Formats: sequence, structure tokens, C-alpha cells
Amino acid sequence: MGDGFNVLERLLQATKIRHGVIVSNIANADTPDYKVKDVKFDQLLNSEIIELKKTSPLHITANHFGQSGNVAVESTNQWADRNNVELDMEVAKMTENSLLYQAAIQMLSTKIRMFKNALRRQV
Amino acid sequence: MNAFGIFEVSASALEAQRQRMNVIASNMANVHSTRTEEGGPYRRKDVVFSALTVASNPGMLEGVKVDDIAIDTSPLKTVYDPGHPDADKEGNVSMPNINIIEEMVNMMMAYRAYEASVSAFTMSKAMFMKTLELGRV
Repeated sequence: MGDGFNVLERLLQATKIRHGVIVSNIANADTPDYKVKDVKFDQLLNSEIIELKKTSPLHITANHFGQSGNVAVESTNQWADRNNVELDMEVAKMTENSLLYQAAIQMLSTKIRMFKNALRRQV
Repeated sequence: MNAFGIFEVSASALEAQRQRMNVIASNMANVHSTRTEEGGPYRRKDVVFSALTVASNPGMLEGVKVDDIAIDTSPLKTVYDPGHPDADKEGNVSMPNINIIEEMVNMMMAYRAYEASVSAFTMSKAMFMKTLELGRV
């Protein structure tokens, strides 16, 4: 029962953290020496799901995504001020990520609604 | 982890870009100022940004702050204008080292960065509102 909830929860956590990282990139679009950061997302999510399946839920450490170790610095071409933020790319990433987040919320809502329906007393 | 740190990041960017806009406006306004309180013609100013770690989420969220307002020390422009009150014996006047086109371009860059941060803020807000609707049937 709880499996789908767990996966969606992880997805929400991951997208939320990625959103924060992208917003930081946008904020620092003109900061000299700033380097673009991103969350290594797909690999992380996969490894988390695998971990979920092989361990008891009691043994899982909760906030795995919250650690800054998953935030990687990207090394692409840089501007003259040694900053490599591409504003349009970041806005596109942000939109994509936000839609993923909203999709996860939608799925979670549907799941909750399903359980509510199942629990409702039939008249 | 504090959920509202994202708003802090966007707000810091808006503030920094607005300050940059103020400096650019001063530069454009003083394009012909030959006298200042410090003496001599006006010199172009520029903001220096630096990344600012958000205390509640170190390592992930980074805002931005105006670190310094630097004075551009590039040579002043010399214009021949014998009728000017500040002209020297040869009739040359030292004018501020401001290129109005450059200022316009900087202003557009500040505006675009501001716009991007506003849309980041709006998107964060939409995500939060969506979350608040969770479980509502």
C-alpha cells in the first residue's frame, strides 16, 4: 500500500530540492565566479527506489535528498566573468521541474482520493 | 530544512538587480556631470555581485548580494568645448567615462535577470499552492 506513496514522496522531495538549486542559479545569473549547479536526479531517484525495495521501511534513513552531496557543479563553457549560467536554459529547466512536481502532486492527490473512496461506507 | 528559503533566494536576487538598476540610472543621469563632491568629473560606478549562502539550507540554496559598488577607473573622456566653464586652457573638458550604449545594455541585462527571478518566484508560489491543495477532494 505504502509503496506508491513512498515513491511519490521521494519524487516530490527531489523536485523540490532541484527547484531550489535552479532558483539559486537564476539568482546568480550575473555573479562573477558562480558555477551552475544541478541535482543528479535520475540516478538518485533510481538508487532510492532500489533501496526502498530491499530494506525494511524502518531502516531507511529519511531525508536522503536533503544532503548537499547530491548537488553537483556543472562545468560547461563560461562567460568572461567565469560564470556559466545560461538564463534561458535555467528557466526551461525550472518549468520542466515544476511541471514534474505538479504531476507528482496530482498523482498523490488521486491516490489519496482512491483511498478515501475505498474507505467510504457504501449506502 | 526551511521550506521558505527559496523565496529568500528570489527576493535577494530582485533586491540585487534593483540596486544594480539604481546604479545604472545614476550613471546615465550623470553622463555629463563635470563636478562632484569628491572633485573632478563623475566616474562610472558598477555593482559587484557575490553569492550569498542561505543559512537555513547551506549547500543547496544560494542567494545573491551586492558586495561592493566599484568605481570604474578607466580614463575619462576628453571633449573639446572652449565655452564650457570647466574647460582647461586648451579648451578641453574632462567628461565622465560613461558610454551610454553600454549602460543601456547593462540595464537590459538587469531587467532580464529581474524578470527571470520574478518568474522563478511565481513558479515557487504555484508549487506551494499546489501542495496546499493536496488531499482536498
